[in-house]
Amino acid sequence: MLEYLPPLNNHNLPYPDTIHPIVVHFVIAMVLFAVACDVIGYFSKNARLYEVSWWNMAFATVSIFVAIIFGQIEAGLAEPYPAAVSDLNLHTLLGWSLSAIIATITGWRYIIRIRTPEKLPIAYLGIDGVLTAIVLVQIYLGDKLVWIYGLHSEPVVEAIRGGAL
Amino acid sequence: MTSFLPIFIAETGSNGLPYRLPIHPNLVHLTLGLFIVAIAFDLVGAFFPLEKPVFKFLAIPATRANLFDVGWYNMVAAAGITFLTVAAGFYEIITADIPRDAVSSWGLGAMETMIWHGLGGVLILALIVGMTVWRGFQRFVWRQDRSLQVQWTYLLAGLAIFVLMFAQGTLGAHLGGEFGLHVTADQMLRYGSDPNTL
Repeated sequence: MLEYLPPLNNHNLPYPDTIHPIVVHFVIAMVLFAVACDVIGYFSKNARLYEVSWWNMAFATVSIFVAIIFGQIEAGLAEPYPAAVSDLNLHTLLGWSLSAIIATITGWRYIIRIRTPEKLPIAYLGIDGVLTAIVLVQIYLGDKLVWIYGLHSEPVVEAIRGGAL
Repeated sequence: MTSFLPIFIAETGSNGLPYRLPIHPNLVHLTLGLFIVAIAFDLVGAFFPLEKPVFKFLAIPATRANLFDVGWYNMVAAAGITFLTVAAGFYEIITADIPRDAVSSWGLGAMETMIWHGLGGVLILALIVGMTVWRGFQRFVWRQDRSLQVQWTYLLAGLAIFVLMFAQGTLGAHLGGEFGLHVTADQMLRYGSDPNTL
């Protein structure tokens, strides 16, 4: 069965470069921009920005599931060395949790948008703040996996294959 | 160590930076996410008559003008943030510890990859700013009263820039993922220490 899959390259991947860090563009950028639009829209009383926020959240909701699929594939092939294991586990746990969190918030937003498109409850802005904090923690963990532990980078994959790590 | 600026930088960690995590790749999420989604929503707006039944089926109320709002505001945000992306990129270029012998999977050395990525960054910044100005003219002057707010040439230009961004992104991925620039574990391995002692 395994012989039908493409061989793994120097990044320990069946395709040229990691895809998860690309797909997360559409979660990170869209969530943070949606929150920025809510805040600016709230204080400038510009309901048009609420629409921009909603569509960005809707896009983020679809994207996070794609991000998780590639994240799981690439986590499965990461072969984390001991120092990297706990951060990878936490990133995985928080990633799955974020899919539920973002989907729920977007669901709430869908209802708000239908009932009072020109008004945003202050509680929603509070949730925006919590969401931003969780997303920033998740970015921090993902950054550590790539930029500190170097998972899927050629030198680390080489060291793991050579038994040095 | 080959670096553009070995002396005039703050004290650095083993990743070659005076802070733990590189900033440029994080701002890249915002530049690419905002630009691509801006063009995507303008495309959705342009093909709106075809999508009406889909939005109806999903029970999501949608108006064409709102989709074009996303195209406009996301593009403005992309233009603003990308100045920071490029600035952080240049700081992390001058602090990079560049290997001399390695070759990327595109057959380029680290220095060549970095020069192309640096030039590409300036070019893409100029294109994003140009696209934003162009989009502004369409929105507020030329097509203010049209239901189709964007020109087809604008959308095609956006798609062409996606191709440039793919090339630029791959070069950037090579800098981190193949040459190990600013990757703590890669730099430690290069200088003979064990990343497990992080």
